[in-house]
Amino acid sequence: MAEEVSGAPGDAPSRRKFFLITGWSSLGLFLAGAGAAFAKYFYPGVLYEPQTTFNAGKPSDFVKPANPNETIVDERFKKSQRVWIMRNTNGIYVMVAVCTHLGCTPNWFPGEQRFKCPCHGSNYNTQGEVVAGPAPLPLFRAKLSIAPDGSMIVTTGLLGIKRAELQYKKGVLLPRWTDEEKKDIAKAPYFLELKA
Amino acid sequence: MSQTPGHGGDQKPGKLKILADYIQSTDAWKSFFRTGYPDSLLKRMAVMRSSFVMHILPTKVGVHGLKLGYTWCMGGITLFLFLMLTLTGVILMFYYVPEEHRAFTDMKDLKFMVPYGMIMRNMHRWTAHAMVFSVIVHMARVFYTGSYKPPRQFNWVVGVILLKLTLLLSFTGYLLPWDQLGFWAVTVGTNMASATPLVGYEGPFSEFLGIRVDNDIRFAIIGGTRIGPNALIRAYVWHCVGLPLIASGLMVFHFWRVRKDGFSGPL
Repeated sequence: MAEEVSGAPGDAPSRRKFFLITGWSSLGLFLAGAGAAFAKYFYPGVLYEPQTTFNAGKPSDFVKPANPNETIVDERFKKSQRVWIMRNTNGIYVMVAVCTHLGCTPNWFPGEQRFKCPCHGSNYNTQGEVVAGPAPLPLFRAKLSIAPDGSMIVTTGLLGIKRAELQYKKGVLLPRWTDEEKKDIAKAPYFLELKA
Repeated sequence: MSQTPGHGGDQKPGKLKILADYIQSTDAWKSFFRTGYPDSLLKRMAVMRSSFVMHILPTKVGVHGLKLGYTWCMGGITLFLFLMLTLTGVILMFYYVPEEHRAFTDMKDLKFMVPYGMIMRNMHRWTAHAMVFSVIVHMARVFYTGSYKPPRQFNWVVGVILLKLTLLLSFTGYLLPWDQLGFWAVTVGTNMASATPLVGYEGPFSEFLGIRVDNDIRFAIIGGTRIGPNALIRAYVWHCVGLPLIASGLMVFHFWRVRKDGFSGPL
């Protein structure tokens, strides 16, 4: 375009070509803009979904198990937030109830102390580690923090589906926590230590 | 072949011109514009004969093409099934409301309370299964008779897009009953989209574009980060309006192209 137009001013065919190119470019720009606007239309600005951050109540609302090997699984936020609040003798942690295989919701079986996914049979222990089935990763943890009034604020990652950062950064897929990760999930923000 | 009359005389061709020549020499370009630039009377005739929408009939039809057993008519059966799906689908739309709290009960009502509702729903469902089957058999026939070969290669491409649309129509229909089967199938199916390179939040290179779970391609498909009411209405609109419209347009083109190219030679 440039060499044609700048070549000879007043040259009729060049000018015609210039108008032709300008016209088609304008149409192209217009269509590109319209296409982009159409694509953007599919990204809603407001979502009517559960908040990613919610108040899970006071730590004292969750029963402490008598046996140090036992973990009590609280299912009261499973339906609304898709998380389990886990209470062991040391403290509280929150597990995201999304099977890492294909994203279904596992169920808790207290008698066996296991989570089982109904779809393809992934089994998890109370640490979220895979003990059977096809799941490639342990269940993810949600972040826990304490509000000024002493209640717990749970953040389910980005709406509860985003992978826990610790696994993501390493770029490895292991169905069980590594020793390094075990240290990470045993402290804040993934674990709330409670004395007494 | 594809040279346009230049204005520059004997000056060297610019980069744009070289690019244009290259584009016009590709198979994809020749599939759309089959005769090249019509700079001779013969080529103008060829444009009219092979590409102009007014000339819908082929210039000639081989005797073998008129034999009834030649094509198995699976393409025609596919069209018939598509029309039947449209008809039964519209009838189902009178009762079904794509709303979280109504979808499942509406489907149950259709089955048990609406006169002839059960047969309409089952016709819609089984016809959809049959359409997937007939499309695949149609493609097998086209493959085994070599009908995908030039000059029909572009129509094969259109056909493959139509196959994808057929599968997508089945998939978008899956969510609509809003039962456990469809809900989790669509959960799993759309999770795959999040692994798309660049535009899926779990896919490779997505971090360079700042793709998150709430702005990736899966988000655009289901209108949220989880399967919910937005996903339901989107599946419904794509299923009832969007995809059938696209498929209809491509089908018209597909059939027109079949007529233009005539039938392939006998086996």
